[in-house]
Amino acid sequence: MDLMGKFTISASMLLTGFAIVFGVLLLLIFIIWLYGTIVSNAQNKSTQRKAEKELKKQKQIIAEEKTKTKSKPAFEKQLQKVETGVSDEVVAVISAAVYTMYGSKQKVKIKSIKRHKTQSAWARAGLLESNQPF
Amino acid sequence: MEIFERFWNAIEGIYQGSGLVQLDWRNYVMIAVACALFYLAIKKQFEPLLLLPIAFGMLLVNLYPAITEAPQTTLMSAAECIKAKGTTEGYATTVINNVTYYNVPHYGGLLYYLYQGVKLGIYPPLIFLGVGAMTDFGPLIANPKSFILGAAAQIGIFITFIGAIFLGFTGSQAGAIGIIGGADGPTAIYVTTKLAPELLGSIAIAAYSYMALVPIIQPPIMRALTTKKERAVVMEQLRPVSKLEKIIFPVIIVVVISILLPDAAPLVGMLMFGNLLKESGVCERISKTAQNELMNIITIFLGTTVGATATGVNFLSLSTLKIIALGLIAFMMGTACGVLFGKVMYKVTGGKVNPLIGSAGVSAVPMAARVSQRVGQEENPGNFLLMHAMGPNVAGVIGSAVAAGVLMNVLK
Repeated sequence: MDLMGKFTISASMLLTGFAIVFGVLLLLIFIIWLYGTIVSNAQNKSTQRKAEKELKKQKQIIAEEKTKTKSKPAFEKQLQKVETGVSDEVVAVISAAVYTMYGSKQKVKIKSIKRHKTQSAWARAGLLESNQPF
Repeated sequence: MEIFERFWNAIEGIYQGSGLVQLDWRNYVMIAVACALFYLAIKKQFEPLLLLPIAFGMLLVNLYPAITEAPQTTLMSAAECIKAKGTTEGYATTVINNVTYYNVPHYGGLLYYLYQGVKLGIYPPLIFLGVGAMTDFGPLIANPKSFILGAAAQIGIFITFIGAIFLGFTGSQAGAIGIIGGADGPTAIYVTTKLAPELLGSIAIAAYSYMALVPIIQPPIMRALTTKKERAVVMEQLRPVSKLEKIIFPVIIVVVISILLPDAAPLVGMLMFGNLLKESGVCERISKTAQNELMNIITIFLGTTVGATATGVNFLSLSTLKIIALGLIAFMMGTACGVLFGKVMYKVTGGKVNPLIGSAGVSAVPMAARVSQRVGQEENPGNFLLMHAMGPNVAGVIGSAVAAGVLMNVLK
């Protein structure tokens, strides 16, 4: 290959490579941006709709609860049987765990929170063994 | 007396067939090179998963060259066949000029058969399947502009192509050498098997060696091309990417690239197939197999057979030295172009992009992204660039496959 031939093939390859690689990847940027916007907008809308529905449901439940338990004391007062020494944070965590287990559909109430009686060392060891991950 | 004669003949036969007679000085040099690669892989831990099989393949082929020998059929007359094999039964016959010859087969060496996966372009796409199953394209989907940096780092491939042409290589050979700048081993092997199979050993070893040397080659270039202020830029957190977006991504990429550049379809197709297996979440078993067992098996086959192409006669030549020099230039140019485009993005976005993430555009996943993170933290220890650098890093994998498609399309 003579010098001119070398120059020609080099310049044409540089130009072709540069143009195609950038062209294809710029096209991909546009497509990903486009579908990213469409998908995230659609998902935002659906989550917004879900949240609105959930809010409506909650409001309805609260309203129903209010009418049913007008004479009953508030939540804090309902949960009177919390053993002394159990902090509010622990109560909140237990409530959250119960909510996670049963969800909002089942109407579950926490009536009292007591400390568990101190277990024997053997019982604790058994519990630990059966709860350890495999 | 006959016993001693037979004994002596046997000893002589074994000696004549041994490496002491068969090997020349080039094989011994290559054995030393293989030992140096063992040192780098085991002691320095430079890409050991690939360097170790490559080095062992290199060692094997230089100790026993027949391990890569192709199968042959020898035509023997009846007398020759009986002398050599004791019988003529069971051999196919060929009649030439009314003389019957028996087709006596000689089976090929072990690595010859394993090498067919490289020669036929099977292993690199299968490696890409595993890479796809291991890669999270989330950072790229969250910030698609990263594709620009992935594209910029490929410029090194085409600049090196020019260098190779002017050093006397043919167009196809120059294309195969340039792809080293993509810093993607399977892509380099795939392109070389299609364009210049005679250079496979040198190119594969150069590509993997430079990939292993990313933490040494890249930082000085990155520091030289950026200011302290640029290196200290803290980038905004990426937006979360939904599962649906991650599932759509591989399908879109494979459709677009396969339509525009069909030559890149085997690589990109398998990469995206692996990624879809992972992201769909419904093929966990297959995805895990692609990531682990399949990937490991192919890595063993690919590494040893590629290493076995580096025989003394093939490897110890001036063209290998040129390839090693050009490969380094390709790699450095790719890094420099990525950083320079990072600087352009820094200016355009008003200082929101750290130019250091541009160097990760040269594939070499995830090593190049780690280097961006490390150099960034030298300026600002509280700066975490890793996820931002992963965007250009995985874009570089796609970019180098696109560049490979261009080279194969234009030069084949």
